[in-house]
Amino acid sequence: MINHKKILLYFCIVIMLIWSLVPLYWLILSSIIPQVDLYSIPPRWIPARITLENFRSILITGKGFRGAVGTTASELIKKGLINSLIVAGTTTLIMAVAAPLIGYVFARLDFPGKNLFFFYIIGMIAVPSWPVLIGLFSEFSKLGLLDTLTGLIILSVAYRMPFDTWFMKGYLSSIPTELEDAARIDGCTLLGAMFKVVLPLSLPGLMAVVIISFLFSWNMFMAPLILTYTLKAKPITVTISEFVGQFYAEWNLMSAGALVAIIPPILVALLFQKYLIKGIVGGAIK
Amino acid sequence: MRKRAPLQAPSQTLRMKIRNKQKWQRSLSAIIDNQKWLAYLILAPVVILIFFMAYFPAIQSFRFSLMYYNTRLPERIHFVGLNNYIRILKDPLFLEALKRTAYFVVIAVGMILSIALVFSLVLNENFKGRSILRALVILAWAIPPVVNGFMWKWLLSGDFGFLNGILYQFGLISSYEPWLKDPFMALNWATLTFVWRFTPFVTILLLGALQSIPLELYDSAKVDGAGARSCWWHITLPLLRPMLTIALIIIMIFAFTVFDEIYTLTGLDPATKTLMMYGYELAFEKGRFGIGSALAYVIGIFMFLITYFYIKSIYREVKY
Repeated sequence: MINHKKILLYFCIVIMLIWSLVPLYWLILSSIIPQVDLYSIPPRWIPARITLENFRSILITGKGFRGAVGTTASELIKKGLINSLIVAGTTTLIMAVAAPLIGYVFARLDFPGKNLFFFYIIGMIAVPSWPVLIGLFSEFSKLGLLDTLTGLIILSVAYRMPFDTWFMKGYLSSIPTELEDAARIDGCTLLGAMFKVVLPLSLPGLMAVVIISFLFSWNMFMAPLILTYTLKAKPITVTISEFVGQFYAEWNLMSAGALVAIIPPILVALLFQKYLIKGIVGGAIK
Repeated sequence: MRKRAPLQAPSQTLRMKIRNKQKWQRSLSAIIDNQKWLAYLILAPVVILIFFMAYFPAIQSFRFSLMYYNTRLPERIHFVGLNNYIRILKDPLFLEALKRTAYFVVIAVGMILSIALVFSLVLNENFKGRSILRALVILAWAIPPVVNGFMWKWLLSGDFGFLNGILYQFGLISSYEPWLKDPFMALNWATLTFVWRFTPFVTILLLGALQSIPLELYDSAKVDGAGARSCWWHITLPLLRPMLTIALIIIMIFAFTVFDEIYTLTGLDPATKTLMMYGYELAFEKGRFGIGSALAYVIGIFMFLITYFYIKSIYREVKY
């Protein structure tokens, strides 16, 4: 009986490993083995020789590819990476400061119109992204925010608000208020109590918010696809989609490019897995 | 002689200024230490930001949806009332896209829920390397959806793709096939691509719910002589149900609005043209903002209904 269960369990584990890793393995494999090995029928599954030539050509030499305005492949990837880092990094920093403040407002302070404000922010979830994008396009073009990093940052900060508010409010509400009350009695201001007492206690929750914010703004695609049109502001998700289109049939180069775009979010997810899980679970029910 | 008066006057105004500044500082700190004003101070920028990034553009595109508005014919913009909506509901392409979307959502919900349920049950067991497996399972969720679409395009590619290679290796096919060529199969593969990325998220949700079930329940059930099967039917499933409902609705919302994956997997291929793809094509490929906005609002109404039930179910089911 127990043995049957064990066998079933291990069978499931193997299936899960195959399901999760095979697509990624294929991507890595096709970017590091020589073209002869990749483009044979069937391909060589276990690499015999490893080459970094693909990464060299997309990151350094740029290998021949000229886009509409004469951009090389390496420019496409590098500029995209930098833009994505700026947008995701700034968004994350802003949310790291804003999320606890807003969460604090809803979890601790008492003021007229509290529910109204809360639903105003949360209600954004119900405003579908799609109609917003058409309106945003014309708004951005009037404000001169089209094709700028600033525009993307403002947008991605705004769209992190509902989730982060919701999550931080829930998280802060679960922290007992005694410590804060003590700090208040000792003469701390509201903000002082918040920064000195509440913030340190809410650090694990804040980490979850920060990490999810990073991942979401890194992975953002549809909005930048519509709101940016030059390398000045295109994030890596957009440049990689172009890159993939232009290098059609050069699967090895495309795979290397895709891996470059995948590495930062995957690293973040692996390093901060504990917080990520907390964020996912907490965010959905709080 | 120099006049002294002008010298005194500034010193007095300076003193006034200092006093004013102190007063101002004091009132500022009073504002910051007043719950009401502190809240408004923090919320003001948020309210403005959200207005300009969400509500205003939404109103704007609602206005567009009532107009004939083609970005390529700016001189012909005029008000047409509900015409765009009527045209959309009569549009056969819309109905087809709606059917495709419905198929996509139903298959995705079914597959993701069942796979994620099995995964989360496995991860809830005790075995060596559980945390490593959990980390590996979660990976797919962190991948940018665009890249995920590309990855699957390559896996399924007709020339040197993975699926062809592996099937050929095991002798299951005799020659390579283009898997995305058949329209119906392409839609199925697109669904699988989304399922692959979204399963980890739901797995983690369900795992969280499983781990919050008190172990004592199982212990006392065992004392009462309940087997594994009745534990599952009478403890696990009922306690998992609230989270299953939430997961179901989240999957529906995201499946309904899949864009990135399809964009790189098959592009604007009619075989996988869901409502989102159709809307993108209308508004941004063809520049038809008016009818595009109307379609966006039709999608929006669907989304609103789903989200409404989501929030309602959260408020009903918060028992954790």
